[in-house]
Amino acid sequence: MIKVASAVVLCAFVSASLAAPSALAASPPTVDKIVAKYVAARGGLTKIRSVQSLRQKGHVTAGPNQEGVVMRELKRPAHTRFELKVQGVTAVFVSDGKQGWRVNPFDGDAERKPLSDEVVAEAAEQGDFEGPLVDWKAKGHKVELAGQEDLAGRPAYKLKVTLASGGVRYDYIDVKSMNLVRTETTRQVRGRPVQIQATFGDFKKTDGLLFPHFVEVAAAGRPNTLRIDVESVEVNPELSDARFAMPASAQKPLP
Amino acid sequence: MKKLFPILVLFVPGVLFADEVYLKDAGSISGRVVEQDETTVKVDIGGGFISVPAARVERIEKGRTALDEYEERAAKLGPKDVEGWKTLARWASKQGYSAQAREACQKVLAIAPDDADARKALGFVSLDGKWVTLEESYRAKGYVKYDGEWMTPAEAQAAQAADASDRAKRNAEYRANAEQNAAVQEQARAEKRAEQEQYEKEKAEQLNPPVYWGGWGYGASSWPTMGTDGFWSDK
Repeated sequence: MIKVASAVVLCAFVSASLAAPSALAASPPTVDKIVAKYVAARGGLTKIRSVQSLRQKGHVTAGPNQEGVVMRELKRPAHTRFELKVQGVTAVFVSDGKQGWRVNPFDGDAERKPLSDEVVAEAAEQGDFEGPLVDWKAKGHKVELAGQEDLAGRPAYKLKVTLASGGVRYDYIDVKSMNLVRTETTRQVRGRPVQIQATFGDFKKTDGLLFPHFVEVAAAGRPNTLRIDVESVEVNPELSDARFAMPASAQKPLP
Repeated sequence: MKKLFPILVLFVPGVLFADEVYLKDAGSISGRVVEQDETTVKVDIGGGFISVPAARVERIEKGRTALDEYEERAAKLGPKDVEGWKTLARWASKQGYSAQAREACQKVLAIAPDDADARKALGFVSLDGKWVTLEESYRAKGYVKYDGEWMTPAEAQAAQAADASDRAKRNAEYRANAEQNAAVQEQARAEKRAEQEQYEKEKAEQLNPPVYWGGWGYGASSWPTMGTDGFWSDK
């Protein structure tokens, strides 16, 4: 009799266990819940909002014998400054999110030139260093859960983010850590649309906020990848507006 | 005689300092100024030269640079010191000095031709037990080169289709304009167009692959490559 009762209990337990995953699969978390957990994993909304400026330094590898030192400075509302140093030569790219300029000695003339509209748009996205998921409703974006996928053997929520600008990107949030581990965007490169995938890893905290220290960028169907190893992160460094202003010596219109 | 620009020089016995050339708007060049007159400043950046208009230079400072450190460290290494050259190659690579990293790796290969670290750093890939270049490995994996970039045949086909569509659109515009113009003018345009297309084709073959920043960094559309007289890019 005891054996029969045990068998019934065991059957009930097994049935419940088998039913549980399908019950979970039937009710995926809402976008709001996923985003809330992602924000919490980064350090929380208060911390994220307290960031007024950011400086990150690292190393970039674009392929064999293609290495450089990178430095990125961001300041609210949408200022960005990106420096690339290769073989001792430093090129500078600056944008306020609406327009931008560059001094790129690699192209030989060392004089300020305007950034193209496509590059300014790319800079503007980085200027929102909270990322589009934080306060997405207030920013006018639309976020939908587009399913769940395995990334390197780990499940991730796939979020479709339709930006207020009209662009669409996909953000992947690791189910276990709730970190943003991948983004997919489509950019116009040499006049053609190219799907670009950025994978993030090696997450570490600075001043209570989580930052990826490894970024790998790949383009669809291309074997080559770009790798960035972030070596230092400074939260709220002193960044004067002059770092982002159009150089005084170059206020005159470009020829 | 060429008029020389004033340079701030700090003399330190026993140490050869390099120059840090700061540009007026932003940016800098670290290396050794080898020529300087009222129009141009030419800098040896260790593996090539880069020239900038003197009018764009804000100031030149003497100081110890990564290039100095590389040369000092290299001078202390023996020709058979594999680990020493490998360490130096990694260090140079981390400083963004690819030419020096390459030089150090080549020293390693001169001693140990099958050293995997040095081979990989120089872009070699092990394929069926044989070291081949990265390009050879791409070809072996079925990738094709289009517009200076390696990609799958499907991507290349899509890119070609996009380019063809773009060309067709431009040609249609040309044709629409041509109907309003004299035949002679159209002939001249057609010749100019053919020249332009030939130029674009040749340029595309020389293009460096684009750099995809993917949300961390922006602006440099292709990786700067050293020529015999400095950098060039596709602008």
